Amino acid sequence: MLSELLSDVRYRLRALFQRGALERELSDELHFHVEREAEKNVRLGMTPEEAMRRARVSFGGVERFKEESRDARGLSALEAVGQDLRYAFRTLRASPGFTAAVVLTLGLGIGSNAAMFGIVDRLLFRPPPYLRQPATAHRIYLTTSYRQKDYTDSSMEYTRYLDLTRWTRSFSATAAWHLPRVAVGVGQDAREMLIGTVSASFFGFFDIHPVIGRFFTAAEDQVPKGTPVAVLSHAFWQSRYGGRGDVLGTTLPIGALTYSIIGVAPSGFVGVGDGAPPVAFVPITSYAGTATWTKDQTDYYTAYHWGWMQMLGRRKPEVSVEAASADLANAFVRSYAAQSALSPQGAPVTVARPRAVLAPVQHARGPNESTVAKLATWVTGVAAIVLIIACANVANLLLARALKRRREIALRLALGVSRLRLLSQLLTESIVLAALGGALGLIIARFGGTVLRALFLPADAGSGSILDLRTIAFAAVVALLAGILTGLAPVLQARRADLASALKTGARDGTYHQSRTRSGLLVLQGALSVVLLIGAGLFVRSLQNVEQTRLGYDVDPVLYVDPTLRGVDLSNDERAALGKRLLEAANAIPGVETATRAVTVPFWTSMSTDLFVAGIDSVRKLGTFQLQSSSPEYFATIGTRILRGRGLEAGDRKGAPLVAVVSEAMAKTLWPGKDAIGQCFKVDADSLPCTTVVGIAEGIKQRSLSDDPGLQYYLSIEQFHPEDMALFVRMRGDAADQAETVRRLLQPVMPGGSYLAVTSMREIIDPQTQSWRLGATMFVVFGGLALVLAAIGLYSVIAYNVAQRRQELGVRIALGAQAADVLRLVVGEGVRFAVAGILIGGAIAFLAGRWIGPLLFAQSPHDPLVFGAVTGVLLAVAVAASVIPARRASQVDPNVALRAD
Amino acid sequence: MTDDRLDLPQGTLDLLILKAISLRPEHGWAISERIHAVSRATLSIPQGSLYPALHRLERRGWIKAEWGASDNNRRAKFYELTRSGRRQLEAEADAWEKLTAAVSLVMEMT
Repeated sequence: MLSELLSDVRYRLRALFQRGALERELSDELHFHVEREAEKNVRLGMTPEEAMRRARVSFGGVERFKEESRDARGLSALEAVGQDLRYAFRTLRASPGFTAAVVLTLGLGIGSNAAMFGIVDRLLFRPPPYLRQPATAHRIYLTTSYRQKDYTDSSMEYTRYLDLTRWTRSFSATAAWHLPRVAVGVGQDAREMLIGTVSASFFGFFDIHPVIGRFFTAAEDQVPKGTPVAVLSHAFWQSRYGGRGDVLGTTLPIGALTYSIIGVAPSGFVGVGDGAPPVAFVPITSYAGTATWTKDQTDYYTAYHWGWMQMLGRRKPEVSVEAASADLANAFVRSYAAQSALSPQGAPVTVARPRAVLAPVQHARGPNESTVAKLATWVTGVAAIVLIIACANVANLLLARALKRRREIALRLALGVSRLRLLSQLLTESIVLAALGGALGLIIARFGGTVLRALFLPADAGSGSILDLRTIAFAAVVALLAGILTGLAPVLQARRADLASALKTGARDGTYHQSRTRSGLLVLQGALSVVLLIGAGLFVRSLQNVEQTRLGYDVDPVLYVDPTLRGVDLSNDERAALGKRLLEAANAIPGVETATRAVTVPFWTSMSTDLFVAGIDSVRKLGTFQLQSSSPEYFATIGTRILRGRGLEAGDRKGAPLVAVVSEAMAKTLWPGKDAIGQCFKVDADSLPCTTVVGIAEGIKQRSLSDDPGLQYYLSIEQFHPEDMALFVRMRGDAADQAETVRRLLQPVMPGGSYLAVTSMREIIDPQTQSWRLGATMFVVFGGLALVLAAIGLYSVIAYNVAQRRQELGVRIALGAQAADVLRLVVGEGVRFAVAGILIGGAIAFLAGRWIGPLLFAQSPHDPLVFGAVTGVLLAVAVAASVIPARRASQVDPNVALRAD
Repeated sequence: MTDDRLDLPQGTLDLLILKAISLRPEHGWAISERIHAVSRATLSIPQGSLYPALHRLERRGWIKAEWGASDNNRRAKFYELTRSGRRQLEAEADAWEKLTAAVSLVMEMT
């Protein structure tokens, strides 16, 4: 039995690899047989010719025996596929123009999808590298209620983290982490870099071992100050230290401390992966214990002032997510009670309703997914639409080609080729085309992906090619689907092939049949293009609105200077003096128009405190009033306009009457109907003297571009927080290029190891507008692509129809039709397609407006201007695409057309 | 070409071919001629069945093929029994004996 099996396999293998030789052998063998039979017949007395004829006849059809022998060899299926492939390549090579058009179209469709898949994969699907069991690793979000609205946030206080760790039972491990930008290095070499401040338990969440040295232990991560040890990231170790092994034990100044390097993390480890990778990992307590935002060093683990870090939890596998969330919520309630004991004036537990959410580690999958993540998902949908359009195009082209080959197909069917073989051969052709398209698509994805990644994941840029196994697998699947989808159309048509009529000479009938499938596909393309173009129009207008929004301050010429003290301890008076010295130095820099001291920066920081106004029992109920404290040049430097009254002046110094400039909205809110100038309100405590309003300023966009209430007020820095040293500097010309110069010239003013960070306002504001810029770019690119594909599709269909109708058109011209009439006829056809597409696409876009609305800025998703413009564009394109074949149609020579085919 | 051909029961063709080459290797035409001759012109194997059967037997490893020179010095493909083929021939011959004996017994029933 076994020997039979082995022999069978050997036989089949030989038949597979030596097919040609075997065929020849069979042929020789059969011919030998026929010859011998003929010889026998001659000996029996027949003439040589008669002998041969009889021999052949007795043998029967040689080909049929060959076929049967082959079947006995048992290889037909595999041979058939090979044959199909060879045939497909031959036919495709024979029509290079068609092949190029199809491959290019499919390549664009598949490539854009592969690239977008790579982006969305990184944003949503892929867990951080090395993470153990992503299903049980969670990022913790805490929800509290404030004024009947729920706020869910992953930022929490270190104290809270300790509470939750202590009071829950559902987690086998917890970790804390925070990713600040901290100065690394000394003096002039100091550069702000991303540092991973993590608890010692953080490393346990990942399946990693240090390349050299070790990770820090819990003993080195103790409150209040931890131990200044650091683990370098692999990339930093390579770039800064050249991968030297003797880096262990050397020191590196990070922030306020000097750290000793104890190990290097493995390549590709980026922690939780919330953006750019940190250059080093240090114990979170060492960072918190020396941070300068609070005077009391024990605050961060005993009080609940400010949420700054995030928490990871490893859920025990036997505990469900719901049970763990409930456990966490209970712990949060206890922690909240402890917080209320320390500061009783906060909202009580019943109002705040503390709850907890266990989410996946990836930020984009949490409850606060960013607009960028939502946009990425949308754009994937858009890319899919473009692929559908591309497939429709290709299906149309394949259909047209199948029609041309009608006679050939009918002939082959009549000769006895089984329908199954025919269909499989057609399908093979489509799949080969799709495979070529897929290969081209991967190349396009490689380059387009780099661009896309710079747009969507700027922090991630440069971390390896966007093409990896998952993306390539995805592209392969997409290509296969595309091949099958586009191949279906001609296959379905071949099934209905009417043999008799197809075999008739001259594939012309009296009228031409408008293929419903092809028209349907064309209208589909048009409709989808319309949808994409409307999206593009809406986003572009959003972007325009965003860029034209009056921010209330200037962006391009302004720099923000943020000094950080290190290694020195200054009293408040000394800090104030330093601040004044910095201001003087800044004013002396060439190219500086004016400079000012300030405390807060729009979007980055904000300050607010208790206000007391006569006649209003709770100012807090009316809103949150943001506070800025600055020197008099503030309004001139940053460009906020004073509407009435005056700004701050040099006379508003310590000891002088307290003054303030309030925003328009604040004036209307606190003193409705009255002139705010001259009104008095108390800042910080009701017992302090009055602060008098001396001027009204315009509102600024401080916290949000779209719906900032504009409640701001300005105090003199001499009277409020004079120890703050930050500056705004206004340059002549564009500020971004001069940031480094300013930093270099101000650095000498800083004492000891202190340093400055200089950021342009553009860098601060740009991320706020990123999502609209992204949406506009993506939709315009894909919309344009869709339009090009649809135009090509329309052109090919109209051209084909014109070729089919040559006879009819010849008749018309012979009967007196003018060129203009023919033009009108053909272009009219194109316009009809366009109109159908516009109606359907417009309806879809109208209905989909509901979902795209939140992504827009001050823009209605049903804007008639955009709809109208897109209609116009599509009609124009349809006319342009139809004109060329129309002109050719009008030039048909009736004599030629009417002649017998 | 007479039409008095007996229909060969299935599987019998394999037995005949194996037997035909049991004495010495033969090529396809010779096999068919020998069977025709030895059976006193009763059995004529349709060529359409012969070659597929030969390839089937080759696939199962009961016969093996080799190109050689025929008696008139032309190239021909010769088949010979393999060891497992010889075993198969014995088994099938045995089965055939038993079958024919049983059928005869039944036919003698009156």
